[in-house]
Amino acid sequence: MSDIDFTNFSSSRMLTVSKRVLRQITRDRRTFGMIIFMPLLIMLVFGIALSGEIKNIAIVVENQDTDTSEAAGIVIKNALDSDTRVSLKEGTYSSAINEIEDGKLSAAILIPADFTTNLQQKAAGGPDVTLEIRIYIDGTDPLIRANIMAALQDALSDALGDQGVQFDETLAHDGAEQSGLDVAIPAVMGFVLTFLVLLLSSLTMVRERIGGTQYRLYTTPLNKMELLSGYVLALTFFGFIEVVSILTISVFLFGATVAGNFTLLMLAAFMYAIVHVLLAVFLSNFAENELQAMQMVPIIALPSMALSGMLVPVDSLPVVAQNISNFVPLTYGIRLFEGIMLKGFDLGNLWLDFLKLGVFLLVFFVLSVLTVKDHNES
Amino acid sequence: MSIQEYIVETKNLVKHYNKGEVKAVNGLDLKVKRGEIYAFIGANGAGKTTALDMISGVLYPTSGTIIVDGLEIPRERKRMAHMIGVAPQDVSVYSDLTVKENIMFFADLYRLEKAQSNSRMKELLGVLKLEEKENELVRNLSGGMKRRVSIACALIHDPKLLLFDEATVGVDPVLRQWFWKYFKELSKKGTTLIITSHVMDEAEKADRIGLIRAGVLIEEGTPAELKEKYRVQTIEEVFLKLAGDEFINE
Ligand SMILES: Nc1ncnc2c1ncn2[C@@H]1O[C@H](COP(=O)(O)OP(=O)(O)O)[C@@H](O)[C@H]1O
Ligand SMILES: [Mg+2]
Repeated sequence: MSDIDFTNFSSSRMLTVSKRVLRQITRDRRTFGMIIFMPLLIMLVFGIALSGEIKNIAIVVENQDTDTSEAAGIVIKNALDSDTRVSLKEGTYSSAINEIEDGKLSAAILIPADFTTNLQQKAAGGPDVTLEIRIYIDGTDPLIRANIMAALQDALSDALGDQGVQFDETLAHDGAEQSGLDVAIPAVMGFVLTFLVLLLSSLTMVRERIGGTQYRLYTTPLNKMELLSGYVLALTFFGFIEVVSILTISVFLFGATVAGNFTLLMLAAFMYAIVHVLLAVFLSNFAENELQAMQMVPIIALPSMALSGMLVPVDSLPVVAQNISNFVPLTYGIRLFEGIMLKGFDLGNLWLDFLKLGVFLLVFFVLSVLTVKDHNES
Repeated sequence: MSIQEYIVETKNLVKHYNKGEVKAVNGLDLKVKRGEIYAFIGANGAGKTTALDMISGVLYPTSGTIIVDGLEIPRERKRMAHMIGVAPQDVSVYSDLTVKENIMFFADLYRLEKAQSNSRMKELLGVLKLEEKENELVRNLSGGMKRRVSIACALIHDPKLLLFDEATVGVDPVLRQWFWKYFKELSKKGTTLIITSHVMDEAEKADRIGLIRAGVLIEEGTPAELKEKYRVQTIEEVFLKLAGDEFINE
């Protein structure tokens, strides 16, 4: 009795179901608002929280150690100048302090005039000389602070090798603006798509089932495949809307760059959305009410986040976790989005990830087909 | 195919729930004639809904056979689908769609022509006194109105067999009279109606009555036959004689 009927498939009946589901979703203000505003909200929150790479932090370096052209201070300043993490601004140490307090700069560095002299004395084995560099820094953002300090360390070891230099570090109050969201955007996109598509799809599916209306559909000529495709089509349409809104927000609001082909990116996102529509359709079989359906979303989304390379690169995960990440669709979603948006990859580089996403699609499709009902079971 | 006298025929129909713990339907032999109004009467929990769900193909029997218009149910249920109209006990219409959208949704599932379904809808809205509610969201309607919308959805494709489970619950008495008038008209045109009810006076108007208790048919006949057999004035008294204790328990 569980035979799947492909022969009597009526696309008009399928579309009838899709049309109705679409109409119902758009009529439910809360859900419709969620579709429109959630991407914006989540993208904002996660985008800011996850801004990975730090670039062009504004600092001032005042170098008083300029006696000779080989003075250590000059070498250090040049090294910092060519470091992309920081961007050197004009100004003196004392003038910079106000700007740091105003949030216009993140740090000021002062290399004293006797720096090279002290250095030479120390190298000659002179007693108790302290090599000191003064730093006035905004400590409210640990990430920025760490990046400035790292840049300075690199500059020092470039210039002097390993010599004990003491930093006289002062912290300022106000936080500085961050930049460099673009790196986080592909991952956030993947997560937002996962979250929203799962949420909308599983909620819709459970509502269908608990309303008692599905039972009546079983008495009509509508068959399993028509019913299933009707749902999937409607939900995919909303997945598509999510894709478009997320890409729009990413590109126009956050200024994300898409180095590769935009159409390919759309295709990847669309395919990724369908995978999650099908996953939700399957999983909704195990939810008895809306609450359970909603609870299922974080159960899937949060581990995906941890295992997909969104928080920590997959290569840095423990081996067990690396193996599991192979079975997380978000892993491939992020690889595709990052590949296309950041690295400008095309199908030549990405076909394997597309293929793997395709395997998920097929598996979830089969699971959905096998579990779709056309009569009451008990 | 010869035209059988009975449009619905069940033989030794059984449905057990919870691995046999609950014997909802327990050897039901039901025969419903073409074009008649058959009132399927029994107390709550007697097994009416379970029996009707098996006839409509929604629920698969534990054992026994069901033949509807020569089709073996549930095996051939999708071939039967276009000729039955079902109004489930729990009003199953979409509350966030309008009355019209609900009816048209079902019309489209039966793939009716637009013009045909439009005129049919107008007719049904008239019969069911829903004309003014055509564009109202179902969620804003009263329980009785929702039930009428549900009935309209079951009638849109002009089916020859109607399965109405407690169709008139929550419908006010005046409208109920009107409904029955319409049911009679349908029956005259050859439509068969099986209407379940736990309200006894409904039965008086039916062509034949089947009384179900604990999943089996305990009595059957026309209202006149039953009244004569038990030497009483009303069908209600027949029930009281046969299953009074159960009805009192409600
Ligand atoms: N899904 C089910 N699981 C277990 N028991 C059920 C189920 N559906 C109905 N029953 C039981 O079967 C019996 C018949 O129920 P039902 O057919 O709904 O009766 P009626 O429609 O005459 O009120 C009742 O005892 C009911 O509790
Ligand atoms: Mg019932």
